[in-house]
Amino acid sequence: MSNRTLPRLLQTPAVVLLLFWMLIPLSMTLYFSFIRYVLNSLRRPEWTKPSLSNWRGFGNYEFVLNNKDFLLAIQNSLLIVCSILFFTVIFGILIAVLINKSFPGQGIVRVLLISPFFVMPAVNAVLWINMILDPVLGLQGLAVNGLNEVIQALREAPLIGWFFSLWPELTPISFRATQTSAIAVIIMVTWQWTPFAVLIFMTSLQSEDQQQKEAAILDGAGAWSQFRFLTLPHLGRPIAIVVMIQAIFHLSLYAEIEIVSRGNGNKNLPYLIGEFANNNIGAASATGIFAVILANIVAFFLLRMIGKTLME
Amino acid sequence: MAIVAQHSRFSKIAWPVLAWIVGLLFFFPIFWMVLTSFKTDADAVKPEYLFFFTPTLENYANMTENYDYWRFATNSVIVSVFATAFTLFVGIPSAYAMAFNPSRSTKDVLMWMLSTKMLPAAGVLYPMTFLTKNILGIFDTHFLVILVLSLINLPIVIWMLFTYFKEIPKDIIEAGKMDGVNTWGEIREILIPLAWGGIASTALLCFIFCWNEAYWTVRLTTTDAATLSKLIEGNRAPEGLFFGRLSAVSTAAVGPIVVLGWFCQKQLVQGLTFGAVK
Amino acid sequence: MGRIVLENVTKSFGDAHVIPPLDLTIEDGEFTVFVGPSGCGKSTLLRLIAGLEETTSGRIVIDDADVTEVSPSKRGLAMVFQSYALYPHMTVRKNIAFPMRMAGVPESEQEERVMAAAKSLNLVDYLDRKPGQLSGGQRQRVAIGRAIVRDPTAFLFDEPLSNLDAALRVGMRLEISEMHERMKTTMIYVTHDQVEAMTMADKIVVLQAGVIEQVGTPLELYRTPRNKFVAGFIGSPKMNFITGEEAAHYGAETIGVRPEHIQVSADSGKWTGKVSVSEHLGSDTFFHIHDTGLADTITVRADGEVSFKHGDTIHLTPREDVVHKFDAAGLRIT
Repeated sequence: MSNRTLPRLLQTPAVVLLLFWMLIPLSMTLYFSFIRYVLNSLRRPEWTKPSLSNWRGFGNYEFVLNNKDFLLAIQNSLLIVCSILFFTVIFGILIAVLINKSFPGQGIVRVLLISPFFVMPAVNAVLWINMILDPVLGLQGLAVNGLNEVIQALREAPLIGWFFSLWPELTPISFRATQTSAIAVIIMVTWQWTPFAVLIFMTSLQSEDQQQKEAAILDGAGAWSQFRFLTLPHLGRPIAIVVMIQAIFHLSLYAEIEIVSRGNGNKNLPYLIGEFANNNIGAASATGIFAVILANIVAFFLLRMIGKTLME
Repeated sequence: MAIVAQHSRFSKIAWPVLAWIVGLLFFFPIFWMVLTSFKTDADAVKPEYLFFFTPTLENYANMTENYDYWRFATNSVIVSVFATAFTLFVGIPSAYAMAFNPSRSTKDVLMWMLSTKMLPAAGVLYPMTFLTKNILGIFDTHFLVILVLSLINLPIVIWMLFTYFKEIPKDIIEAGKMDGVNTWGEIREILIPLAWGGIASTALLCFIFCWNEAYWTVRLTTTDAATLSKLIEGNRAPEGLFFGRLSAVSTAAVGPIVVLGWFCQKQLVQGLTFGAVK
Repeated sequence: MGRIVLENVTKSFGDAHVIPPLDLTIEDGEFTVFVGPSGCGKSTLLRLIAGLEETTSGRIVIDDADVTEVSPSKRGLAMVFQSYALYPHMTVRKNIAFPMRMAGVPESEQEERVMAAAKSLNLVDYLDRKPGQLSGGQRQRVAIGRAIVRDPTAFLFDEPLSNLDAALRVGMRLEISEMHERMKTTMIYVTHDQVEAMTMADKIVVLQAGVIEQVGTPLELYRTPRNKFVAGFIGSPKMNFITGEEAAHYGAETIGVRPEHIQVSADSGKWTGKVSVSEHLGSDTFFHIHDTGLADTITVRADGEVSFKHGDTIHLTPREDVVHKFDAAGLRIT
């Protein structure tokens, strides 16, 4: 019957657009990943144009796999995403339980808490890495300096001075170094996304069955038992949702890493691709294909989870 | 009995205090940014002026001169508004079709759409640059940024709308069919008025995502279509001497969105979790 | 006119065959009730007639015109939904006028017909309210109003009373019956409640698993149920079924006796049992009787004055002229 065809046709624009969006660049990436293709080469100018005659087979893939940065980038990608997921869920639950009880100014606290979520990632990164975490000029540097001065002053004090002279001088941590910049990224993204987790957990807590809790109190359950056996299971589904949705967003995490990591060794996959893309397009494309494969593996499990959770 | 009373007196004070501390802690970086924006660049890095200083508006007054703020802000507004409008224009009919005329493949189509969101953008970065620069010649244009922002947000928008639309009782749509509305009438007369709240919060969220986007807007623009993300990203270097002015321009970049976000936090939960958490 | 004919209609959802080939004729002006347990396909059948579901095969004919491929609004039918399906963003007035607006009826005529409908449904005071501000019964009336103004060839009701509380349900039942008496338009009414079916219908269609078990007037179904299913479904409390030796005396596999067709006595009768529960309704008393050796429980409907306690021995005598006999396949033996 034709009155069903038109409504179904309505979804074609979206499908076609997304299909183009996915297939055209992806097939180009695939093509570039199999040829020698660089942006600038004085010795081999023929490599600066994409062409089938520069076929390299799996050469680019070998090059990428042998690059020492590649494994590091994958490790970093996983470390960053997993840490963020872990911390946002833990903090999210704790804070949600904390502010779920009504107290004076609850509304204001909630507004304060949710704010970081709307800060644009570029600002987030610039703010944290410069003004807060900077070892000299940021709050961290100032705080460490201040502490050192206090300790210095206490050493001069009579009676207790000997105790403080045992203390070492504190040195501020630079978050621009290879190992620490990943931590900086984790801190700033956790700061940004914990509010999201809080919001979702809080909404879910409000739908918790109060009679069930009252029954548990009558059964002699303490606060911890109530949390462990009632609240936590109740939050199972929201936790799954928080993990899924964050994974969708963080798999392509880029801005923060770009800003924090410029000029040091902290790379995740998107960043490594950007670096290769400055000249070696073949290698960048091969890395891109690896990233797509990695994302697909994660996506496969995620989507099955989403399908189960959301489409029951 | 006494224990119960004591316990509740403790939690009556300690609990709110703890909650407030956590709230303030989370807000502190934003507060710090806003506070610093009222300091001169010189004062901003001096420990003696941490909280007590002579406030100044010069950072805001010089925003145009220092950063050409308004050009970037205008671009941000243009691309976010048009991208949101276009996304809704494509997304509403699509979500309508999937919510009210589902076929056996609808679930898979939705899943597939979401999966495009998970494709690492970096994987297709160079081809996109190549395509838009060398073949289509639309690199660094508003059109390109609008198109790309629409495409990356389309899956999320369709998902959100789909969830809202599914909450409309099917009976009402069917009553409309009996009453003689055609497909367009259904969308115009019934769907949009009924799902107005959902559509508005979807639009709001889409706008926020467009405004904050920082991969394609940075990589596919140079000057003409560059947005605020590009502006901030371009000033990422440790410019210790310019904390004041950097804070001012950052505050101007995120302020409107944060305020907008305050108003739609409830809808945000429902939309972003695809209605699974209410 | 409003004569609806289904010829060989089938409906499948994927591999699930909800309606096997089915033929049915609904005469003009008839009040037809589709009744059956939930999931029996009665709503699907109604939606097929309305055009909200596509038929898998077969023809639907309304007044000699084949409407199988015609869109719902062009079939000239009006439907009242279980959930009322009012447009929550429109006032009552706009809700009622909506189908006319869609059909391009002139404004003045719209207003006239809305007023006429509102008057007959006692809705005049509520015309400018939104559905959310109305009670369940009022919403139901608006839904009916929206159907009336279309001046349809037939009304379709999909369990319209099941969302109302018991008292309102009885009132609305009467109103719909009166409306039918007044308008003489074909009405098809779907319900799972056999009381509604018995009280309202000119013709009852009993469905089970998509199959029509019997078509007839309420009393026909009550007096001569074609099989065990219809016998058990129609009538309240349910008919008692007795199998085994006692049934064999009647030359049947199973016999059925309605609770109201059994006489009780304290000292003599054909069957003997012990009272388990007695329910006093005032006008009637229901006895649930165990240990008869006939069936787990025999239900009896007696006069309100009759009194037996739990554990009392009770003697039962069925009225022989209304004992229903069924064969091994569950079909009626006449």
